[in-house]
Amino acid sequence: MVSITPNFQSEPRLHEAARIALPHIFEAAWPDSSKLGIDSKSAALLLNEARETFASHLGIRSDEINFLGEPNLGFHLGLSGLISAGKRMVYSNVDRMEVFAIAENQPSEMLSVSKGGQIDFSGLTSSDVVSLQLCNRETGIIQAGRPENVNGLFVDATASGTRIGLPENWSTALWDSTSWAGPSGIGIFALSKKANWKNPLPHLDGRINPGPTSLPLIVASALAIDSWVADEKNLAAKISTINGDIRNYISSNIPDSDIAPGGADHLISASFLYVNAEQLVTALADKGYSVDSGSACSAANMQPSHVLAALGLLTQGNIRLTIHHATTFDDVKAFLEILSQTVTECRGAK
Amino acid sequence: MIVDCLGKRCPLPIIELAKALADKPIGFSLTLLSDDPASAPDLIAWARMTGNAAEAGELNTFQITKLTD
Repeated sequence: MVSITPNFQSEPRLHEAARIALPHIFEAAWPDSSKLGIDSKSAALLLNEARETFASHLGIRSDEINFLGEPNLGFHLGLSGLISAGKRMVYSNVDRMEVFAIAENQPSEMLSVSKGGQIDFSGLTSSDVVSLQLCNRETGIIQAGRPENVNGLFVDATASGTRIGLPENWSTALWDSTSWAGPSGIGIFALSKKANWKNPLPHLDGRINPGPTSLPLIVASALAIDSWVADEKNLAAKISTINGDIRNYISSNIPDSDIAPGGADHLISASFLYVNAEQLVTALADKGYSVDSGSACSAANMQPSHVLAALGLLTQGNIRLTIHHATTFDDVKAFLEILSQTVTECRGAK
Repeated sequence: MIVDCLGKRCPLPIIELAKALADKPIGFSLTLLSDDPASAPDLIAWARMTGNAAEAGELNTFQITKLTD
């Protein structure tokens, strides 16, 4: 089953390898892997294999891996678990809203990024617990700096996936299965053996999260990451070229556009002056193209993207494009012509 | 001159601002009133992109100066 609608939204379709295997995985992975029955033992084997697969692709030990059925719970586990009396939480103004929410209840400091989206980590102390976003999910900006000599380091790898490795001094880290075209609703939370961490959730035994996390989805995600990483080797160059093509086209063909500085090749954010984003996104959808937006009028809370505002970029008329492995040059060529036309139409309608 | 965009959502304040400035001479200043949460970041971006000046004043008030045609 191949959809003909070109998708530039952040969510990828489930990887074909996982999609084909899914019914078989559900047949094999139904038992509780923590019990002692025969079926449970084979389920436990599947879980261990999945752990090893993730460990090798993410560059961590398999016993540092924990699976989350709610990926964004990992922000709380990863940050709050490192913070105790006398510590200060340090984060940035382009971090995820989940990070902002945790900072509200802690002694904390928010660092402002430069125009290029970079953070200056030089003023940190050994009592600081730092949130480090490897890649910004709205713009693709990659953080070059690494906090050194800090008390704890939480790494948000939800947008970078397997593309960027962890810094050596990481304490906790979070990935989202969708970044390698795995099923949604699966997060990987890593807790370093060296971390000074205390579970911030109510718990009686050694479990990190209440669980249980769906074993079939964990196994499907492991299949997806294996296949995705192999695809990425072949397709990274194409995605990089497409990224450059889109940036060039917008800056030379659509006047009054504001393109965010880039980094990761699969992400582009562009804003158009005098354009209502809701109208633009809806018109593009009517023409068969799905895109995301960071503009206030398209957001559930009617607030403009805090990331665009922090970078001094235009928040109105914003679209966010994600280039997937399946994206073709033809898709992009046709889309850009439609985009240019639609931006002109939206401006004319005012 | 006051351009009152209170209650209007993005991108209307910036569109009405551009319309108000269209036939004005360089150096012309006006006050824009807007309570849209996107106006503060967007007026700064608009000024940078178009070569004009925008400065946030008291609550919901922005001082705009036309510096280019």
